Amino acid sequence: MITSSARVEKACLQFKASFLPITVLQITCYDWEGIEQQLLDTVHNAPPFFINLPVIIDLDKIKTLGTLNFIKLKEILLTNKMTLIGIRGGSDEQHLAAAMVGLPILIAGKSSAPEAVQQPKQKEDSAVRLTKLVTTPIRSGMQVYAKESDLIVTAAVSQGAELLADGNIHIYGPLRGRVLAGVQGNLQSRIFCRALDAELVSIAGYYLTKEDMLQSPTGDGMRQIYLENEQIRIEIL
Amino acid sequence: MAKIIVITSGKGGVGKTTTSASFAVGLASRGYKTAVIDFDIGLRNLDLIMGCERRVVYDFVNVIRNEANLNQALIRDKHIRDLFILPASQTRDKDALTLEGVSTVLEELSKTFDYIVCDSPAGIERGAQLAMYFADSAIVVTNPEVSSVRDSDRMLGMLSSKTKRAEEGRDPLTEHLLLTRYSPKRVARGDMLSLSDVNEILAIPLLGVIPESQAVLRASNSGDPVILDKESDAGQAYLDAVARFLGENVPHRFIEEKGNWLKRLLRFKEKEIS
Repeated sequence: MITSSARVEKACLQFKASFLPITVLQITCYDWEGIEQQLLDTVHNAPPFFINLPVIIDLDKIKTLGTLNFIKLKEILLTNKMTLIGIRGGSDEQHLAAAMVGLPILIAGKSSAPEAVQQPKQKEDSAVRLTKLVTTPIRSGMQVYAKESDLIVTAAVSQGAELLADGNIHIYGPLRGRVLAGVQGNLQSRIFCRALDAELVSIAGYYLTKEDMLQSPTGDGMRQIYLENEQIRIEIL
Repeated sequence: MAKIIVITSGKGGVGKTTTSASFAVGLASRGYKTAVIDFDIGLRNLDLIMGCERRVVYDFVNVIRNEANLNQALIRDKHIRDLFILPASQTRDKDALTLEGVSTVLEELSKTFDYIVCDSPAGIERGAQLAMYFADSAIVVTNPEVSSVRDSDRMLGMLSSKTKRAEEGRDPLTEHLLLTRYSPKRVARGDMLSLSDVNEILAIPLLGVIPESQAVLRASNSGDPVILDKESDAGQAYLDAVARFLGENVPHRFIEEKGNWLKRLLRFKEKEIS
């Protein structure tokens, strides 16, 4: 997943999947003077933070409006030394206007708008629903996938069994199988386990095999496995 | 209603057929009317171990295809009146078994028998799945060796998901571990997994430990299940296992090296020190 090897002997290029943080500038209401004023105020609070900051303009919240003055918006961001990458969300009309001023249209990620509105009410509900719980042993050859959620296993995970989750994975029984957290690419996901005897641990595609883990810390206590600078770290909590 | 027991393992050569034969004899000799079915279509073995190979006329597949009725195919055991054998076909393969066919045969047997012992073939394919599908209890036969343990683990996974009980959401079948070909001497030397190693991985109740024994091979070749050899360690171990299966409280034997109390004491001391 991470590298693609070229067949030519001397490789001149390589496509690599990479993740980097991007700031999303969400425009919530189209009041040009307000936008300008608030943006300048924010930048003045911490100018160094905004230098070369990659920015995407998110239009999900003002989809209903006509076009935006992208020329002015681009200008104001550039004069404040931010790097404008493109726009996401918005209507077809807005997309056209953005394309006219040379702004790429990125595929919109999941809109956070509805969540933000409903969050206070549904937070507890969804937390209960969003974690997959397994209490029976996961035997060799079995596969458990927690889609769009965390996974908690209270029983043993045998050699040859496989746990996958889009979120974090917690294992409270003996762990001898394969564990893959953040399989959709969530770099923040982590694995927590007691005794670590896994065949393989992986976070967002980065992995360690059993052989790689021989040097991992020994001793009692819960283990936490997480990603740091594209390296998997194992520490005792 | 008969209780259906599947003898399974995943891996071949660990002692499924030996166990099926001895278990069936053990149950029948206690007065339970017992049938033992060879699901290993194409590799017929059970009849040899039971010493009835010369009396096979019709087989399991004939019954499924309505080429013979059940009573024609069942062979009465030469030692015990309450024991019957349903042999496998040697000329077909496992695809000759159908779910409906197996279901009909088991239903028919259930009417008159107390126990039905299903001798599963190795592997995880059709034959093995059909052997376990209707089971109420499973005896997982495992050798103290890594590949056998892993295969047994795989079988346990299938037992909890691919049986009729699991599909209908009824109480899960009861699982029993039978550790065969166990040699405490080789465990002590470190070339064999110990009982606790196996238990730690499989984590199901232990039905018994059958020691590695010359008697097993001798019994197979003579066609008299080893449980009939009451003098032998393996025979006694099977008798114990059957008793435990029937709910009796029998202490485990053949786990420790024989007669070496001094060594045991020393090992105990070592443990205490560490």
